[in-house]
Parts: sequence; C-alpha cells; structure tokens
Amino acid sequence: MEPTTQATTPAASGPPSVESKPAGRIGARQEAVAGYSFIAVPMIMFFVLSIATLIYALYISVWNWNIRTGPLNVVGFDNYAKILNNALFQTAVKNTVYYAAIWVPLTMAVGLFLAMIVNQKIRGRSFFRAAFYFPAIASSAAITTLWIFIVAPDGLFNEVRGALGLNGIFSLFGFAANQDWMGNLHTSMNSIIILNTWTTSGTFMLFYLASLQAISTDVYEAAAIDGAGAWQTFRYITFPLLKPGHFFVATVGVIGALQLFDQVYIAGGPAGAPVNSLMTVVLYLYHSLFSDLNPGYAAAVGIVLFVIIFSATLIQRRLFGGEPAW
Amino acid sequence: MVKRPFVLLSSAALLVLVACGGGGASPAPTIGPGASTATTPHASTAATQAASPKASTAASPVESAGTSPAESAGASASPAAAVCNATAGTPSAGASFDPSSISGSAELGHWDSSPAENDALNCALKGFALTYPNVTVTNTDVAGVYNDQMVTRFGAHTPPDVFYVNGDTALDWETQTFLLPLDDYIAKSGFDMSTFFPGYQDTFKGTDGKTYGIAKDGNTIAMAYNKDLVQTPPTTLDELVATATALKGTGHLVAPMCLNPGLDRGLAFLYAQGGSLLSADNKTEQIDTAASKAAVQWYMDLFKNGLGVVAPTGSWCGEQLGKGNVAIVFEGGWLKGFMDSTYPAVNWSFAEMPQGSIGKPMTISYTAAYGIGADSPNPDQGWTVLQYLTGVDGMKLWTEGGIAVPSRSDVPAPQGFDVITKGAQYARPGSGFMPGYNDVQKAFSDAFTAEVTNGTFSADPVVTATAAAITAALSK
Repeated sequence: MEPTTQATTPAASGPPSVESKPAGRIGARQEAVAGYSFIAVPMIMFFVLSIATLIYALYISVWNWNIRTGPLNVVGFDNYAKILNNALFQTAVKNTVYYAAIWVPLTMAVGLFLAMIVNQKIRGRSFFRAAFYFPAIASSAAITTLWIFIVAPDGLFNEVRGALGLNGIFSLFGFAANQDWMGNLHTSMNSIIILNTWTTSGTFMLFYLASLQAISTDVYEAAAIDGAGAWQTFRYITFPLLKPGHFFVATVGVIGALQLFDQVYIAGGPAGAPVNSLMTVVLYLYHSLFSDLNPGYAAAVGIVLFVIIFSATLIQRRLFGGEPAW
Repeated sequence: MVKRPFVLLSSAALLVLVACGGGGASPAPTIGPGASTATTPHASTAATQAASPKASTAASPVESAGTSPAESAGASASPAAAVCNATAGTPSAGASFDPSSISGSAELGHWDSSPAENDALNCALKGFALTYPNVTVTNTDVAGVYNDQMVTRFGAHTPPDVFYVNGDTALDWETQTFLLPLDDYIAKSGFDMSTFFPGYQDTFKGTDGKTYGIAKDGNTIAMAYNKDLVQTPPTTLDELVATATALKGTGHLVAPMCLNPGLDRGLAFLYAQGGSLLSADNKTEQIDTAASKAAVQWYMDLFKNGLGVVAPTGSWCGEQLGKGNVAIVFEGGWLKGFMDSTYPAVNWSFAEMPQGSIGKPMTISYTAAYGIGADSPNPDQGWTVLQYLTGVDGMKLWTEGGIAVPSRSDVPAPQGFDVITKGAQYARPGSGFMPGYNDVQKAFSDAFTAEVTNGTFSADPVVTATAAAITAALSK
C-alpha cells in the first residue's frame, strides 16, 4: 500500500484519494453511503410503523389497559389464555380460515385465467387489462356498499336471475326467489368471497402476467413442434413453469385473506352480523377495542393473528417455496 | 433463468402494493372504518336510537354505536327547517355558578344526522348564542361511527367540551372514566333535575350514583299501524295476535307485522308479560324463568306462525310499513319524520303498545344525553352550553319541530307525538340499565336470528345464550 501522505497530495486530475487506493474499494464505500442514505427514510418509517408498533402491541397485550388512563395492572398472559378460550374468537378463526381456504384458490384460478387471456395478442388487450384491474384500485367501501344493494332481496342479482328464468335452478339448492344473500347467515360469507374474488382477481392477474411473460417463447415453440394442443401446453408447460408465480400469489393471497376486514365491517358491522357469520379475526380485534373497550385484549388478538399468519407463510414456504425443477 | 421471474414478480408486486397501499384481503386502498358508508337507511333522529346491534338483520334507525344516518331517510318535514324561533332567554344563575359570567369557547360534538336534525340543533345553538353571547360554540359533526370516533378522542385526551352520550354506551363510558360527573355543576348552578322523566335520566346515573349525563331527549317504542288495513288498533297482546292472524295473506302484505329479532323490541314484550332480564336487585339473571321463557317463546311464535317477519338487509321496519309490505310495526318517534317525508301518502297512526298479562301499560324507552369529558379542556363553558340545551328553552327549540321528544315533563311535546310522550310516563329503559348490555343483546339476537333462519323457532337456545351472557356481563 502507498503511504497515506501521498494520498493527500492534491492531484491535477480526479480526487486526491483515488490516486493511491484501489478504485473498487472507494467506489464501494461511496456507493454504500449513498445506498444507505436513500433507504434511510423508508427504513426508519418501516421500523417505526411496523416493527416498533409490533413491539408496542406486545407490550400492551400483557397489561390491563384503560383507553384513557393507560396501563392499569399487569395481567401477564391472561389475555392470551382468554382469547384462545373465547367462543367468539374461535368463530372468527373458523370464518377467516374458511374464507382463506375458498377465496385464495378461487381468486388464483380466476386471476390465472384472466392473465392467460390478456397475455395473448388480441385487440383491445390494454383495455381489458385496465378493466380487469380496475376493481382493485376502486374504493373497497364503495364497492362493498354497491354489492350489498346488488345482492339485496329485491336487488339486481335476484331480479336478473328471475328475469332469466334461473330461479328453478337456484331453488334446487334451497335458495328462495327473494333470497337475502348478505343477510342470511349461511350465505353471507360466500357473498363476500364472490365479491372479493372479483375485486382482487385483477391484482392476481397482474402477478401472473409478470410470471407468464417470463416464460421464454422457445418452450412454447418446442411444445408446438412436438404437437401439443392448447390445453396440453397449458397443463404440462405453462402451469408448472408458473410455480414461482403460484407460490408468490398464494402467499400474498393467504396473508391478505387472513386479514379480511373492510368488507365484513361494512356489510356486517362491528359485530359481524348476521349471527357472527362475518366475524373475522381482525374484526374481532376491532370489536374488542371499540365495543369491549379492552386495548390489552385487542393487542393480544393482533399478536395471535401475527403468529398465525407468520406460521402459515413459513409452512407455505417450506411446502411450495422450492426452486422449480427444470 | 430462474431469477428473472422473481425479479419481474417482485417489481410488479412492489409497484402494485405501493399503488394500492398494500395489505388487506383485496389490496385495494383500505378505507378506514371512519368512512362509514351508511348501508342501513336511518330515520331522522339524533336523539334516540332503537339500539339494535348490527347482529340483528333488521336495520333499525341509528343503532347503539350511533352510526351516522348520513342518508337522511327521514328528513322531518317539520317547519323547524325553515323557522327558528330562537330568542334571547334569561340566563340562569346558580348559587355559586353563574353561567352568564362564563366566557370563552366550547366544542360541541354530535353524531352525524339528517339535515332536519342539524337544523334543529343549529336553532337551539342560535338560542344559546343569544342568551349567552360570551361563549362561542364550535359545532362539530363527528363523522363516521360515533362511538368509535369518540373512543379515539377519549384515548387522545381531546374530547369535545360537551357531546352526545348514547344511552347504550353511557354505562361503559362511565366505567371507563371517560365522563365527568356533573353533580357539582348541577348543585352549584341550582339546575332543576326534578322534571326529567326518571325512565330517561336514570340511564345516566353511574355505578357510583353520580350523574354523568343529562338526558336531552327521549323516545319510547309504540305500535304504528296502517289505518287502511287495521280499523281498530289492538289494545292487548291477544288482540294483536288475532288482528295479525286475520291480516295474514291479505292484499300485498308480505306479512302482517315487521319485527326485530332482538331485545331492542323484544324487551318491551318481555316486560309486558311479566318476564325480565334481571332480578330486582340487578344481581342475577332472570331470563331463565318460566315467565321470561314463555314471553320469549311467544315472541318467537309470531315468526313461526308467519305473523311477523324480519326486515330485509338494508331496510328497516319503518320502511316496510311505508312500502306497504306490513301493516303493523313497533318503532319510536323517529318513524314520524321518516313517514312524513318519505311515505306521506300512507295513512298510518301511532297507538300505545298493546298490554300484556301484567295488565298495565308497558314499553321501553331510548335516550341520549349531553355529557362532558373527564379531559374536556373547557368544562365550565361546556356546562354553560349543556345546562341551556337541556333547560326548558333549549330543549323546546330542539324538539318543537318534531325531531325528538322532550325528556322533561315541563317542555310540551310536539304535535303528533302524544303516544310517545305518554309512554315516557311508564316506560322502562330499553338500554343502559346494566353494564355490558350490548353483549347481552347480541347473544339474544344471534340465537334468535339463528332459530328463525333455520326454522326451528325454539326459545330454549335463546334463553340459554342470553342467560350466559347476562351472567358474564354481571361478573365483569
């Protein structure tokens, strides 16, 4: 190494320090500083808004906490014990898991279907992409409200199926002509599932689109040469090659599904009407805080949900997250 | 080659999540609960509510959380919207508190309501400004779900100086130390509490016996019937069943009556037949007794025999009466404003609740009060406003247009509300008489709705669930 005194000699060309030290190292440090300063603000926000609030929630959850006066007395893990034994919480978990189990595969299927459609060179492709994606960016409150009116007993859906003469088929399943879809405890969650499938399929379509476009056309050409039909190409080529896409979409989907709140709150209120059929874990958290006025308990519900989602994600990663076998 | 999909996916995901604010079942921008889209049509009533927890499918006007009846389904056609008779009253003076000497500002918080109610409130506030010119009132419309918004403000130690306290949540707010006891102010100002109907005012007595709110208006449940279909209103429950049975299947009726599958109406029928939720000392549950069980089964049988139906989601019994789908409903004074403005052609009338086996008139009442927060920054100014709005002058301005019914016997009832006001003399509180009553209501209506939906129509599960909820609430 050159002695440092030479490094400080002012140079006619370039910064003094560059002359004596290997170029890679200086560049790396400057780059590092620049990089860290760019991400500093978002990282600080992330730590404060996500990590710190998580730790704070953990702290609150071991206290008996008054909304106005703050912590009252430590209750340790009492809140957690109460939660796991609470019938309403168990109903909330059941509803949430049911929702995730149905909605995730359904929306993945619809999203993939839409992605396959808009991936082709058809006219108006951009329009369709925008149209399919639109519900995802529209206000969920507005969409849910409209949906409630559509599925009302005298709403659009019942009237249209009556006009089309489909009531016979529906009555085979036990649905009256003026069925109250959202107000009946047996059909309310399914109504929400259908609503959310339509809303979120556009987002999943985008994810799948990215994956689809990553598959090189060579593979398709090879398949065509081998005489594969459209369905065979899809089943044996496209679908397996989408494995990273499937994993990503499924993970994001499950994480989102387990946090269902907006639609059930608007449709069923803070109590998850009718008869708790729309009570989900996040709604139960909300109910515990604003109706039962128990922040410690509500914080504990949040932590329990975090554990559930984290475990689900880890399990998914373990089962499906491997590299696709070429 | 494997990395490329991930890069593309991650970038797409990042873009999308950033654009949509991430998270949520549908990664659409999460609208906070504050943006309450009033999915249930509400009648005009800032004052009182038919405390129906959303668990009941019948959306009664303004449920216990005091959600905003943003779409004024019941803008009262009263002249109060056009005419405000506010004049400068005589400022009251107490022994050691003279409101006329107070100056400053006060923030008044109230839940979102119909334009007619906002007009009535503004009129009352105009009267206040003329009487107490030194106190400036900022009228804050707490938009969104009132209870949730207020709880947030209590937590932030910035409640308004004077605000609505719903009868349903009064006990909870008091136990949580959100409210300021008003006894000192009442004594020092010499505020006369003797003319308030006890059925209303008792709701705001805390567990320590102190007064935490002053009832600003009240409402009782009465029977409302279509005069074209029901010639003689029934006066007893037996007559009610007979009248309904005769009406079954006539004309365009979906059913003779529209009923709520919950205690928000059922309690009146329970009381009328000698049933009860609590023992006389309020220490034990009484829903699991022969009389109570029989009363619950009687109510259930109305559904079983097709005499009563639940209002469809998004509607409520008042609307069903207006639409002509039913002939008899049980609602409060809020029905009048709604019917006058939305279904003026319907020929209907209030009548007293039919009497049950106890042989005397019975109904339940709902009320709301003005209260002051424990952390309110300007309690003196808040009290000045409070004692005016609940005094004779202020309450007269608030109620004379028919928006609500007075909670004091020395303020005359507006026209057309005689039945409602008469009910105030014997009504028992429909909410706020025990801690955790919302949980009890929810347990009852969940079980009741399930029985009706599944077609089993048995009162046993309802009684069992309600008894458990009462015991749990009392033990907290």
